[in-house]
Amino acid sequence: MRESGDALVLLLAGGIGSRLNLLVGHRAKPAVPFGGIYRIIDFSLSNVMNSGLTRVGVLTQYKPLSLMSHIGDGAAWDFTGRTRGIKILPPRTGEKDSDWYKGTADAIRQNIDFILANPSEQVVILSGDHIYHMDFDAMLSYHQHKRADVTIGMMVVPKRDIHQFGAGIIDNENRIVDWEEKPKVPRTNLASMGIYVFDTQYLLRTLARDRKEADFGMDIIPRAINEDRVYAYPFYGYWRDVGTIQSYWETNMEIIRENSGISPEEWEIRPNPEYSGRPMDRAPARFQAGSKVASSMVSSGSVIEGTVINSVLSPGVRVKKGAVVTNSVIFDDVVIGENAVVDLAILDKGVQVGAGAVVGQGDNLTLANKQFPKHLYTGISLVGKAARIPSGAQIGRNCIVNFGYNEDSFNEDNTLADGASA
Amino acid sequence: MILAGGRVDELGVLTHYRPKSAVPFGGFARVIDFPLSNLLHSSIERIAILSQYRSYSLINHIGTGAAWDMIGRNRGISILPPFKDYENPHWYRGSADAVYQNIDYIQYYGASVILILSGDHIYQMDYRKMIRYHNEHDADLTAAFIEVPLESASRFGVAEIADDSDDGGRMLSYEEKPAAPKGCWASLTVFCFRPSVLFEVLRKNQEGDSYEFGRDIIPMMMRERYKVHGYKFRGYWGYTRTIDEYWQTSMDLLGPEPKIDLEAWGIRTNLAHRNIADRQPVKIGTHGSLDNSMAYNGCVIEGTVRNSILFPGVHVKAGAEVNDSIIFFDNTVHQGVRLNRVVSDVNTVFNRDVRVGAPVCEKPSRVSVIGWNNTVPEGLHIGCGCRVAPRIAPEKWPKNKLEDGEELK
Repeated sequence: MRESGDALVLLLAGGIGSRLNLLVGHRAKPAVPFGGIYRIIDFSLSNVMNSGLTRVGVLTQYKPLSLMSHIGDGAAWDFTGRTRGIKILPPRTGEKDSDWYKGTADAIRQNIDFILANPSEQVVILSGDHIYHMDFDAMLSYHQHKRADVTIGMMVVPKRDIHQFGAGIIDNENRIVDWEEKPKVPRTNLASMGIYVFDTQYLLRTLARDRKEADFGMDIIPRAINEDRVYAYPFYGYWRDVGTIQSYWETNMEIIRENSGISPEEWEIRPNPEYSGRPMDRAPARFQAGSKVASSMVSSGSVIEGTVINSVLSPGVRVKKGAVVTNSVIFDDVVIGENAVVDLAILDKGVQVGAGAVVGQGDNLTLANKQFPKHLYTGISLVGKAARIPSGAQIGRNCIVNFGYNEDSFNEDNTLADGASA
Repeated sequence: MILAGGRVDELGVLTHYRPKSAVPFGGFARVIDFPLSNLLHSSIERIAILSQYRSYSLINHIGTGAAWDMIGRNRGISILPPFKDYENPHWYRGSADAVYQNIDYIQYYGASVILILSGDHIYQMDYRKMIRYHNEHDADLTAAFIEVPLESASRFGVAEIADDSDDGGRMLSYEEKPAAPKGCWASLTVFCFRPSVLFEVLRKNQEGDSYEFGRDIIPMMMRERYKVHGYKFRGYWGYTRTIDEYWQTSMDLLGPEPKIDLEAWGIRTNLAHRNIADRQPVKIGTHGSLDNSMAYNGCVIEGTVRNSILFPGVHVKAGAEVNDSIIFFDNTVHQGVRLNRVVSDVNTVFNRDVRVGAPVCEKPSRVSVIGWNNTVPEGLHIGCGCRVAPRIAPEKWPKNKLEDGEELK
């Protein structure tokens, strides 16, 4: 039972998340599969649901189709009913503007009509990009207790990472007295999680003040700190930004590690298995005679004949006889052929690895990808949606095989050197 | 019309609190999901379920019917419980009586064909083919049959069917559970009726004192020379009438090419029931192993599992062994436990070092069945072919052993 009244939730789901490279080639970052059966946005949506909030607007922009079908009518998160609902809010042409969202604040500003149409005391603004477990009801109560105009969810991060975040300096009442957006030299270790509670009337006033203020972190918050009551809401739970291939892979691996703090089922995170539109349900996973699986997550519909160690498998994955999958994240309906080897790789939906092929060949983990040295530099190789790796092919470390790639696109000796892209 | 009312005594402890059609099957589903999925894929979208025994589990499972797309202005699943009115003070007195009592429901929809099914079987069937056969032969009743060995035929309704075509023919004789069967075509309890004839024979049947399709309606129609056809079904048919049958049919889910291929059959279940949609993927620990087994999301496997079927939320702890068993939702199997040929109902906990069944056992019925919400005390040995009722109170458990074939109530 919610204590804090009926707040409106606006979920920013438009981010491109380009550092996720091929994984966001066909979908917005919040729609990227995670942890076998989930999408990244399921964590935000389930946190909203479990906090007792019932009215949500999802602001989309980049490749929204996958996200829209995933959200559907919102029934997976109980957002259906006369006073409940989840609405997709795409950018649109106004009388004067014909622009895409220019920033987080601009995106909210372009949807003021939605805020007005859903009267509320507070507006909760979230991003759909993170893996975390949080009670927004507690945050709303805190906000009311502090009589704040704005409350910002903040957590302690290592100082060396603070340059990626908005950083807040607080007084002993948790009121934010100074703000630095992505500071080069850290003065604090308190980082903004991009989670805001606004008093609705205050939000409307502040957005109306200057239409050039496009971003919360850059424009709105720094000004508010000088003039209004801005508080930090300290968060101590599990929170991960999965915006890079490396952090995405690590966070997946945390699910299979004991006591890593992430537990989607205990957090009551709900996926939407009906999204795929398949005429039948996924059957229980089957582990054939002679298969070997250890330290892994295997989703329904998978059929394992080979070996799977330290990996996360989405629904419908086939690991054929003699195949060995290690340290990898495998999306839906991937087929790994007989005697194939997949190590330290992320395989997008529907990838087919031919018999005897190797993805993740050799020991040279440190030669970064030549095309995207900042995306792939720890040995992880990436295979795009529905790519077909020919039988016997050898794919090295930090490689990228583009989506839809097939036998014909490969070179004659079917190899891809460390750090190469196909 | 799905006949889902029955509690079959042989299934005993599994049906103490649910009708047979709601018994879990296939590692995530229920028996009734098979006819419901068949109906979905046959585009038959107006369904009634006749249920009177402990219906709650079934009602809960059916929900709105959305799991099978049976939701819409012209689509739906209605659960029809028995009722009282001025004329009728009865429970459903049999399958034919259950349908008779709901004739007004059937008439309201004015369908051209009435399909009557049992909710108790494991099979895949496109009812449209049978209905096409029925219409082509302008039959009053077409009943589906499967060929069984003559020696086992006496457990069923048995027909002789003329070899008119590969698909079926006129029914020449029909006997319910005959001591000496004349044919080897066994009834599948799938009936396709001409509505006017159905209403007529159900009314006539009310004059008697037995109200079953197999025992009464079909023999009467044969006697009175209605046009009755037998439709020959040649696919897989799985029975779940006894614990041993249930176990055997379940084992057909396993192997490299299982006889029951859930996805190929298009099986759907209600993923909201027991929240199975939200269970995280099967988690296999460092020393966990699964051999020739199936497990649904929500299982955590740290021990050894062989030739077994695990429903959502089964935890097999390190040092536990599960062999040749079917473990329903949310069981916990603690360290040192050995299970052999066990069917264990939901929410049961096997405390440390419990043994159930044995790798080798001379009993004719080797399967032991444990009812739901039991906590089996540490170190207890339960033999082969045992029956343990649901929710045994802590003081009722034997000190250290339940002998082969014993029952605990």
